[in-house]
Amino acid sequence: MVPSLGNLALWLSLLFAFFQFIVSRKNINLKFISVSVIGLLISSLISFFILMYLHIVSDFSVLNVFQNSHTTKPLLYKISGVWGNHEGSMLLWILVLTLFNYFIFKLLNKKNSDFILKTLETQAFITIGFILFTVLTSNPFERMIPAQANGLGFNPILQDPALVIHPPLLYIGYVGFSAAFSMSIATLTLSNSEKILWYNYMKPFVVAAWTFLSIGIALGSVWAYYELGWGGWWFWDPVENASFMPWLLGTALLHSLIIVEKRKSLQTWVLLLSILAFLLSVVGTFLVRSGILTSVHTFALDPSRGIYILTFTALLGGYSLMLFATRSKKYFDNSYFNFFSKEGSILVNNIFMVVVCATVFLGTLYPLLVEAFTNNKISVGEPYYNSTVIPIIIPAILVMGIGPILDWGKEDKSKTFKKIFPSVLLTLIMTVFIFLFYQSYSFIGIAGIILAFWIISNNLLILFKRNKNYSIGMIIAHLGVGLLILGITGSSVWQEEKITRMKLEDVTKIEKYNIVLKKIDEIKESNYVALQGNFLVYDEKKNIIAKLKPENRFYPVTNNFTTEASIHTNLFRDLYIVLGEGNLSDGWVVRIYYNPLVIWIWIGALVIFIGGITSTNINLRKLKILSQ
Amino acid sequence: MTINKIFIIILFISLIQAFSNNTYAVEPDEILKNQIQELRARNISKNIRCMICQNQSIDESNAALAKDLRILIRNKIQEGKKDEEIYKFLTDRYGDFILLKPPFKLSTLALWVLPFIFLIIGIFVIFFHNRKSKKI
Amino acid sequence: MKKQLLIIPSILFLLILLALFYLLIIERNPSELPSNLLNKNVPKFETESLLKSKKFVSTKEFGNEVVLVNFFATWCKPCRDEHFYIQRFANEKGIRIVGINYKDNPKKTIRWLKNLGNPYSDVPIDKNGRIAIDWGVYGIPETFIINSKGIIKYRHVGPITKKMYRKINLLIKEIE
Repeated sequence: MVPSLGNLALWLSLLFAFFQFIVSRKNINLKFISVSVIGLLISSLISFFILMYLHIVSDFSVLNVFQNSHTTKPLLYKISGVWGNHEGSMLLWILVLTLFNYFIFKLLNKKNSDFILKTLETQAFITIGFILFTVLTSNPFERMIPAQANGLGFNPILQDPALVIHPPLLYIGYVGFSAAFSMSIATLTLSNSEKILWYNYMKPFVVAAWTFLSIGIALGSVWAYYELGWGGWWFWDPVENASFMPWLLGTALLHSLIIVEKRKSLQTWVLLLSILAFLLSVVGTFLVRSGILTSVHTFALDPSRGIYILTFTALLGGYSLMLFATRSKKYFDNSYFNFFSKEGSILVNNIFMVVVCATVFLGTLYPLLVEAFTNNKISVGEPYYNSTVIPIIIPAILVMGIGPILDWGKEDKSKTFKKIFPSVLLTLIMTVFIFLFYQSYSFIGIAGIILAFWIISNNLLILFKRNKNYSIGMIIAHLGVGLLILGITGSSVWQEEKITRMKLEDVTKIEKYNIVLKKIDEIKESNYVALQGNFLVYDEKKNIIAKLKPENRFYPVTNNFTTEASIHTNLFRDLYIVLGEGNLSDGWVVRIYYNPLVIWIWIGALVIFIGGITSTNINLRKLKILSQ
Repeated sequence: MTINKIFIIILFISLIQAFSNNTYAVEPDEILKNQIQELRARNISKNIRCMICQNQSIDESNAALAKDLRILIRNKIQEGKKDEEIYKFLTDRYGDFILLKPPFKLSTLALWVLPFIFLIIGIFVIFFHNRKSKKI
Repeated sequence: MKKQLLIIPSILFLLILLALFYLLIIERNPSELPSNLLNKNVPKFETESLLKSKKFVSTKEFGNEVVLVNFFATWCKPCRDEHFYIQRFANEKGIRIVGINYKDNPKKTIRWLKNLGNPYSDVPIDKNGRIAIDWGVYGIPETFIINSKGIIKYRHVGPITKKMYRKINLLIKEIE
């Protein structure tokens, strides 16, 4: 009964989406639009929470629950299991779409009605596309008859707090870009007489989307670092790339919108970028769910899903880009850009972001194309991206340090040196300090640290000067990037690794620490059994500074083995221990990692998130004032 | 209840050797005494794909084939083979697919050259735009 | 900015879309692993034989007729599962099959073959897995079809299933 209600709610939401598409026109009674928007939101909420209910009560008559859950799964993961699979994640996509749809609707007033209505019409089309895809190819309410007593369980390495919120945050990002996309379409279809400041509407959505996409990607990396067991956090996996590409375009879009606001130029470029950012998000969905790739991330393989999504992308992209080709000319302006200015540095940022995005796109698709058109099969892995992307990111970061303090229009070069001298000095001081502390000399290390402190000092100085001209959101977010680079450099360049075999009471030395294996325990939890190593970590003064307990777990329901690293974190380094195989007589293989500055990666990501939220609020306030 | 628990744990311990596919990677007994040779081995391994894993190098993977190839690479280094010879040995048997850094070939020319071309196009677009514009 | 340039994004999009459609339609199997040794000579190797007293020399054993090469081991469950079909190849089709024993215990292998039946004309021993690496093997079981000239024509990764049995039969007929 309940699953049928869920299915009904889903079909109802499709109906409301169609209704919204039809009624979002001029001269229509606003009540109709209100009904469609709210009906859409409520029906999608109902279907989503019904699926969640079915997972919580372990209703195995529902195929989705059977395939992904088990009675012994902890409650938190029964809940997050709702969106940890393909069909359920589509319901989450739809929910976020209907939520943002509602937010757009709330902006509607007499002055902007043409623009908002057209935006709502486009959003309705997108929503129809997603709901139709779900009901036709991926319905989570499909039944399983006869119902089994218990389900197939859920991959234990995915049962992690970071992965609980990782998808919702990403979807907020993608859906935010869909709003920008719809606004771009609306702008392009407006007739000449309507002068709406469309970029003021777009900006808060773009900033919000970018912010949540950033933290969503960061959480995926947090999970990889803590869960996968060798201290890595980014693998250039095709599905990681699928989220990174919209992020790159989103960064470019964010910055170009600043120029549009200030100088009213670059409008054509922004209209194009907002179309492309969302198109890439949809293509990313295609890559993940179509079966043309295998990756640790991909959902179930099904070509019919791939054909549907690709067709949907073709319609969306074809229509939007043709509209752009024919209607964007009037937004074009001929202003000149001085490279040595604030807008010049934003332009440089844009070029770099787009080039990196194109490169990642190329690297992701190239193996598929080679395989399709030749008899050969190649891999494009981390070394390729390191060679192509990093050389571009480095100048981008250099420009990022100086860009915010340059003037609009044309920078007076005589003043520049005075402006940046304090930060150059601060950078040098902090760099030297780090080197005295870590005593390691490597070119990449030097470059990374200089870049990090270049960003950090520039933004700290802006902060201390309390100049009202600078957006506080930007300062915080840029500061976050500086901290992020610090963490990335430290953990990549100065990582120490010790691989050894240890018997009970054996001591291993790494850096200034002595690590002793005290005992091996067997432990049992509700859904797994584990072998646990108990290690004591002594510093050079013979004090115990940490007790580390790495585990090797076995989950009987899904027949999975996992390794849980044990990590001691402080501001300077992570100590990371992994237990390998072994026995009492021969000893155990133990892997110990000394990872400097890792926590600054996560702190940096958090600071970026705070900066983004701050900026989103500021832009929302501006919009509210505008739309009154 | 206790017997079941013991059985599961013993079963688990013996199975873990055969079936776990997660982390581990380089074992203590594989490590070469000569640090320079060991570093060469690690660097080569990081560029060799684990063919039966998802997106891992043989340096990171615990798979049987990964371990065999790690040992093979170390043997060849100790025999005095150069890096290129070792890569050729592997690609002769497993194809270009085993290299995580795509080779420089005719079929990968576009892959390596295009990023640079993208950059140039980007810069030129701005220059041409500026040329045709009026200064403010 | 010429108006015509604004159409460039649409054109690029169209090209990329066509490429993606093509990739979907040709029904690649993304987990299919190509053999780099296709249409090349069988790798040269010489090793002890489990069944015969003299050594197994590859140059003597291949190049006379169509041969199947099957990498197997007693500790490998899928090898146990596919044994039925390997035996069928030997019995019903009279094809010569060489079974390369991968990282195994010779005594256990002899017992295994006694219990299940021996479909192999000979069983060369690959003690440390180096022969498998020379063949570009990913993991066992793997089966190769060698033509009468000693050229590797086909490689299958994983156990022989009913479907694979039929497919390999057809391929053998084509190759002959």
